[in-house]
Amino acid sequence: MKNSWISRKTSRSSFIKSLIGGAVAAFLIPLIDKLPAKSRFRRFLRPPGALPGDAFLDACIGCAQCVNVCPNKCITLYGLEGGIENLATPKISARAQACILCMACTQVCPTGALEKLEPTKEGMRAVNMGVAVLSEDVCYSYAGRTCGVCYRACPLPGEAMTIGLFEQPMVHPEYCIGCGLCEQSCVHMPQAIRVIPRSEWEDRLARARLS
Amino acid sequence: MGRSISEGEVVMKATNVLLPLSIVTRLGVVLLLCFFAMMTEYLNYKTAYNNPRLVELASGKSVRVFYEATDAIFDFLGDPIEVAQSNGGMTWSIRVLGVPFTDPVAAISVFAKGGSWTWGFVLGLAVPVSLALIFGRVFCAYVCPASLAFYTMFRIRHVLEKWFLLPDLKLNRGFAWGVLIGGTGAAIWAGHGVWSLILPYFAVGQTLFHGIAMGTLSISLGSIVFFALLDLFFGPQFTCRYVCPTGRLLGFIGRRSLVSVRRDANRCIDQCNTCAEVCPMNVSPKLDQTVDCSLCGACLTMCPSNCLSVGNRGEK
Repeated sequence: MKNSWISRKTSRSSFIKSLIGGAVAAFLIPLIDKLPAKSRFRRFLRPPGALPGDAFLDACIGCAQCVNVCPNKCITLYGLEGGIENLATPKISARAQACILCMACTQVCPTGALEKLEPTKEGMRAVNMGVAVLSEDVCYSYAGRTCGVCYRACPLPGEAMTIGLFEQPMVHPEYCIGCGLCEQSCVHMPQAIRVIPRSEWEDRLARARLS
Repeated sequence: MGRSISEGEVVMKATNVLLPLSIVTRLGVVLLLCFFAMMTEYLNYKTAYNNPRLVELASGKSVRVFYEATDAIFDFLGDPIEVAQSNGGMTWSIRVLGVPFTDPVAAISVFAKGGSWTWGFVLGLAVPVSLALIFGRVFCAYVCPASLAFYTMFRIRHVLEKWFLLPDLKLNRGFAWGVLIGGTGAAIWAGHGVWSLILPYFAVGQTLFHGIAMGTLSISLGSIVFFALLDLFFGPQFTCRYVCPTGRLLGFIGRRSLVSVRRDANRCIDQCNTCAEVCPMNVSPKLDQTVDCSLCGACLTMCPSNCLSVGNRGEK
């Protein structure tokens, strides 16, 4: 009786020791993030319909179904370049290949990290991937050379972007959905128009108001 | 006498099926993952060109052959976009013929971090959990693509053990529970991506997907190599037995599974311990243990007296 009690106690203590060992071993993995030689300078877009900010990271499990279904091959997966918190989550590099808003990825997401949207104008208007920001000092049209490529690429012409004299583009941030098609189509190198996250755009606006 | 031998041979043939079957189904899963990754490539060519000649001009003759072959497959399957919407993903969360499958560990991780599930995600749990309740840990022997690599390591160890003395470390079952708890903690702290380094089958899926669909090397390859070396030098099937949290969870869910390995005590030989020695999951059918049994059939193949069989747990 006494012996069995002792053996049960020792097995329980070894169980708890192993439990703690395993938990510590797994918890050490995020320390990969502390390794040197990693650039976080580049920013990428999320697929359309993505939940804002951290809510997306809470829901996305990195199953790659959105990458799998993308007919445009614009969605790729993060490696360690975005830090461990972005590992295996989808990204879009708009300058390389921008999203054409076919909404195929939003239909297959199993966890609801991408909200279901339809490939219609209404569905497009619900997308919030960022805001396009124009650098007028780089843009050809503002230098007197008529271009207008970005306006022709825009999926919501007349709403998100309008053109004036010499096809000078004007972005309307309240309607811009940040798909990045204008950034991909820009003929200038480096691009005169680029998409930034909406939160960063709001920060810039606040700073501009202060100064 | 002669009759009993021929009866034994018939039983041998029936039980010999399980082990080759498990290897075939796991290879099938690997091929399915490769097919899904290549479907991504094909979809892009289909929507961009939709013409073999244009594909050849853009990417060369070999890609044209690939495109035409896949075109022939999709003539059979149907509209490529629709097929891609109802089939895709990897062993972590997969969708086959429109039916979603969710990993229980993914469900735990999402619930711990976000606090809520979507309906499709919960429905995806139905098949894996009920499979575990009926058959036990069959995922490990019949689906997991990583266990195929670890089984190869198991055989390589067998060969190496002729010349070298390799260690056989044993850990407590608590270690895998600890990895599950620590991994969930790391997922809450850093993101669900840490599972692609902890779970071997997720790492295999990531590596295949990165390699085939995107043409890049994944960090997950490092974790596969790490686990394979662990298997080679620490103990046979070390990862499956002591590290993998999914295996531990499924073993726990299926600890009283309906179907299990049964032993006919009258025919069992007392001095023989073959079944426990060949078991990749460290289970001893000799002692009537069935927790963690993945029904791989290794013991059925090796048993000299044919006293083992697979069937309903209640009937002896």
